[in-house]
Amino acid sequence: MGFDTLHSGLRRRDFLGASAVAIAAAQLPFYGEALAQNAATLRAGITGYNVINTLDPGKATLIPEFYVIWALYNGLMKLDANSDPVPDLAESLKSDGNVLEFKLRKGVKFHDGSEMTADDVKFTLERLLDDKFASPNKSKVSGLSAIEVPDASTVRLVTKEAFAPLLTFLSNARTGTQVLSRKATSAAGDDFGKKPIGTGAYALKDWVPGERVSLSAFAGYIGGAPKIGFIDMPLIAEESSGVTALLGGQIDITSTAPFADIPNLEKNASITVLKQAGLNCRFVSLNHRKAPFDDPAFRRACSMAFDRNAMVRAVLFGEGVTAHGLIPPSIGYAYGGNNRPLCTYDPAKAKAELAKSKYPNGAEAEIMTWGQSWWKRMAEVFVAQCNQTLGTKFTVQVTEANTVFQRHKSGDYQGSIWGWLGLLDADEYMYDIVHSKGWRNFYGYSNPKVDDLLERARRELDQGKRGALYKEAENTMIEDMPIVPLFVSNIHNLMTKKVQGFKQLPYSNWGDQFVNMSLA
Amino acid sequence: MAWSRYIGGRLLTLVLTVLVGSVVVFLVMKAAPGDPAVAALGENARPELVAAFRARHNLDVPWAQQYGRWLADAVRGDFGRSLTVASDRAIAGLIAARLPNTLFIGLMALAIAVALSLIAGTVAALRRGKLADTVATSMAAVGISMPDFWLSYVLILVFALGLGWFPSYGFIAPSQTLSGALYSGFLPALAVAAPLAAVFARTLRTALLETGGRDYVVAARSFGFHPAYVFLHWIFRNALIPYITIIGLQVRYILGGVVVIERIFGIAGIGSLMVDGAFARDYPVVQACAVVFLVIVLSVNLFVDAVCSWLDPKRTR
Repeated sequence: MGFDTLHSGLRRRDFLGASAVAIAAAQLPFYGEALAQNAATLRAGITGYNVINTLDPGKATLIPEFYVIWALYNGLMKLDANSDPVPDLAESLKSDGNVLEFKLRKGVKFHDGSEMTADDVKFTLERLLDDKFASPNKSKVSGLSAIEVPDASTVRLVTKEAFAPLLTFLSNARTGTQVLSRKATSAAGDDFGKKPIGTGAYALKDWVPGERVSLSAFAGYIGGAPKIGFIDMPLIAEESSGVTALLGGQIDITSTAPFADIPNLEKNASITVLKQAGLNCRFVSLNHRKAPFDDPAFRRACSMAFDRNAMVRAVLFGEGVTAHGLIPPSIGYAYGGNNRPLCTYDPAKAKAELAKSKYPNGAEAEIMTWGQSWWKRMAEVFVAQCNQTLGTKFTVQVTEANTVFQRHKSGDYQGSIWGWLGLLDADEYMYDIVHSKGWRNFYGYSNPKVDDLLERARRELDQGKRGALYKEAENTMIEDMPIVPLFVSNIHNLMTKKVQGFKQLPYSNWGDQFVNMSLA
Repeated sequence: MAWSRYIGGRLLTLVLTVLVGSVVVFLVMKAAPGDPAVAALGENARPELVAAFRARHNLDVPWAQQYGRWLADAVRGDFGRSLTVASDRAIAGLIAARLPNTLFIGLMALAIAVALSLIAGTVAALRRGKLADTVATSMAAVGISMPDFWLSYVLILVFALGLGWFPSYGFIAPSQTLSGALYSGFLPALAVAAPLAAVFARTLRTALLETGGRDYVVAARSFGFHPAYVFLHWIFRNALIPYITIIGLQVRYILGGVVVIERIFGIAGIGSLMVDGAFARDYPVVQACAVVFLVIVLSVNLFVDAVCSWLDPKRTR
């Protein structure tokens, strides 16, 4: 037997040699056809994410889910560059106290060819409100007390009292209120999330979980068939791979970009970098129920003890703006600017404020954060600079994001890095976070004057007057320094020069722009 | 007879190892912080939604019971449904769609590593102490020291972005076109293969030199056989045994490398599925991928051992 085995050893070697030759002989031209570029296909890489669980707006929670949803559906409203809601499926609207009346556009078709009516809007909203459906987006419409449909093109929404943020929540953004067809949605049942039907400019063509989503233009779209026939959206988990895919010509546009690469990418003449401050707020959350952050003077001292500009450079590579309040600059109607002295680095004033506080000498505190990336660096910069300026003995405690959230909810912390992403309306930034009854107010902050201003803002339907109330509330709030604002980070898109018509909006928009786009 | 009993014993060990492995993976996933319900529904999910999610996915019963149910389904080929990376889709289907891609890249990497190492190892041994040997051994030292993810980016930079010979991202599945798969899979396979080729080449070089000094080789040379015949017939064949053994041992590193490479190059394989599953706390997906990996690694090891024990019957005694 020994002799045979040696022969089979040789045969094995021959086999291996042969495979190597086969690989070397792989021909390139065949491949060229497989990847042949369709001029009418936009390759829009969803970068930094690759999980999409559902395309049902009522069930969606993840940003990449909404990226696609924005192309498949429309809302009654949509957000403009100022984050103001403007009509989309609604043709016009009028408000009378607690009643909002929408006139719907006529001739709007769903992907299955049926016409959208007021009844579909009613169905959409009632579905969100239905406890059995258990929508994660229910809170967006929970203020509704009645939905009336006087005729096929009129919808009347009744709230207990006037509720101005509702228009934002009915927009085609990260809301879940995108309009569905009663017939198609009911027919699909639990499968609707996999076989979505909307009124959007694109319909779902194919979806391979974790890999890609492709769309085809909807010829019956109310605004006319879009210029680009097909959209291919590879789901690219690594942001850096998104950059190489764009530079190598495998995709035309990305949905995000790695912060650290932006300065270099901006020097690259073959691509366009779009950026602006996004809809987010990052701050140090301070627990008012525990020392030392139970003292407003101490909190104000901390706020003036560190350099926000240095933090933006160190943490964001300059890709953001300093925050002197909670409302980000892209909410134009309510933005209060970033030149408040209490949020400006001033060691002398910080020390003076510290001297007035209950804890003037080397107070100790743990500042929670999580992960390895910027969240950790934010805590390190804040702690190091506070300790240096104020002689405090703060330490950084690194844990896991969900633990941080749970400890916020249970009140078991002193200070923590925190932030919110994707909130759309000034009300969410202010009422939710600093009203004494706000559900994101974990730190026990309460100021009756702030509460009153925020309640009035909710009832104020004039966007200008509403914005003024938020600015006043923010000015009042910042005197108490319930949280220490840090910065607002930029959002980014990278595109090749042949992509035209994409308009970046602050809410990290995506699929909603495909209809305006073309390829040179 | 001894050989078949040996293989039978090894098969039994394989099944037991997979079983133990699946328990370990199950426990590690449970011990890791995080909650699939939070991953699926968001941090702000209402408690009743979280409870409903847990009940629907069997997460509200004791661990032992969860594992028992999983095992009972798994032996029938049903790995359950994804929680958070591909909501409610059958995991068996996800794996079936992705496994060919992972195996393709793995096999391609293996082929490249074998081809490179056969050339480099043989040249280095035949030209021992000469320039070719120094070049080959230095390349091997560099190859072993390079992390595959780093090498991936270097390859992309040079061959995709620089020279434009290969795509910088994306993979054509072998089920679409074979030439497309070979072409788009070349850079990722090379990134996985390079460190392996270095290990293989060093092993082959050492084995060739060692075998070359054996008495029977000296005897064969003294009979006046042609040097090429002596090399192929006596030296090379015997050096293949340690060479094949090291290949078998390194297969697990191929799979480890593929996990990283799949994300960088955007290959829809089970490595990237497992990473996504781990990030999103998709317990059943991670569990299923781990079992599949375990079965592959153990099967390859078994196969290599079978081949080696067949080549060298002393092993089974």
